[in-house]
Amino acid sequence: MAFADQPVYTVAWLVDRTSTVYSLPLFYERLNEAINHPRTSIDDIAKIITEDQGLTARLLRLANSPLFGWFGKVDSINKAVTIIGTQQLRDLALAASVMGVFTGIPPELMSMTSFWRHSVACGIIARTLATWRREPNVERFFVAGILHDIGQLMMATTIPPVVMELMQQSRSTKLPYHLTEAERLGFDHADAGGALLQSWKIPANIAEPVEHHHHPSRAAQFPLEAATIHLSDLICQAMDYGQTGEWCLPPLDTAAWERLGMSSHQLGTIIKQAEPQLEETFSILTEGV
Amino acid sequence: MGMLPIDSLEVGMVLANDVLDRTGRMLLGAGAELSQKHLTIFRTWGVVEADIAGIDYVNDESPLPAEVDPAALATAEEELQPLFSYAGTDHPALRELLRLAAIRRVQHGLR
Repeated sequence: MAFADQPVYTVAWLVDRTSTVYSLPLFYERLNEAINHPRTSIDDIAKIITEDQGLTARLLRLANSPLFGWFGKVDSINKAVTIIGTQQLRDLALAASVMGVFTGIPPELMSMTSFWRHSVACGIIARTLATWRREPNVERFFVAGILHDIGQLMMATTIPPVVMELMQQSRSTKLPYHLTEAERLGFDHADAGGALLQSWKIPANIAEPVEHHHHPSRAAQFPLEAATIHLSDLICQAMDYGQTGEWCLPPLDTAAWERLGMSSHQLGTIIKQAEPQLEETFSILTEGV
Repeated sequence: MGMLPIDSLEVGMVLANDVLDRTGRMLLGAGAELSQKHLTIFRTWGVVEADIAGIDYVNDESPLPAEVDPAALATAEEELQPLFSYAGTDHPALRELLRLAAIRRVQHGLR
C-alpha cells in the first residue's frame, strides 16, 4: 500500500477537528431552543432572528423570491415567520448560517462559488421534487440539499492534501469521487457530513439524508428524504449546475428511484420548474459569503 | 399500446388504459378518444404520460424543442458520455437525464 505510512483518518477525528475551528453561530442554538419551547411567541422568534441583520436581510429576500411567490409582500420577519412557519424559517436560517461557516478553502482545490451553486441547485431541485410529491415542510428538503456535500468542505479544510490526491486519483481511475474516498479512507464525504450535522444537533430529518445521499436505501429513518436528495444530486450533476469534488454522475440507486414513484417523463417538468429559481436563490444565499 | 409522454399526445389518439391523476383519481377511461380539452385537463392535473392504443413501438421520448437540431443533440450526447460513464444510461431515468442534459447543452451553446 502506497499510503500505509499516512495517518489513518476517521470520521470522529474529522468532526472533532472541524468543530474546534468552525462552529455554528450561537444564535442558531438560541433560535432552535426558542422554537422548541412551547411558550415561545412569534415575536420572540422574530426578535432572535432580527439580532442578526445580515441574516434578517437574506431571509426577507428569500421570502420575497420566486421560491415562495409572495413577490415583495413580506416586509418583516414577523410576517415571514407567520407565512413560512417557524420550523421552516429555522431550517432556512440554518442553511444561511452554515454557508458562511466554511472559509479559507484554497480556490485551486475547490471553487466555493461552484460548490455552492451545485448545493443550492440540489436544494431547489429537492424542494421541487418534494413539492410535487406534496410533502409537508418542503424547506427541510431544501436545506438537506444545500448541506448534502458539507462533508467535502470539512475534508477540504482539514485534510486538503488528501482531498487533492483523492480528486486526481478519482479522475485518473474513472471511479466516482465518493467511491474513491471510501476505498482510500474507509468512509466518504457523506458519512463525514452526516456526523458533523449530528454533532451540531441538526435535526435527523436533515442529517440522515445528508449522510446517506449516496446510499439512500441505507437510511433507516428518512429513506424518502434520502432518496430525494440522491436523485437531486444526480440531476444537478447531469445538468451541470456548479461542481464539487465529483466529476461524473454517481450510480443511481434504483430502489430510491422506485420509492419516489416518478415516471422518467417527470424529470423534464421538475427541471423546468426549478430552473427559474436557481440564479436568484443562489445570489441571495451567497451574498457576502 | 405504448406509454407516450404528455407532449407527444395528439387529438384523436385512443387510450389503452385509464388515465389517473397523481392521487389516483380517474380522469379519463380506457377506450376514450382524446380531444384538445382532455389534453388541457391532463396538464392541469399533472398527468405526465398516457397509454395509447394502436402503437406497437414504445417511443418514450418527448418531442424535441423546435430550435434543437437532432444532429447537434447527438453530438452533445456524445460529449456528455464521460459524465455518464460510471452511472450508465440503461435506466430510463438516466437515459432521460442524458437527453435533458444534451438539450440544455445545445440550447445554452455550451459546446
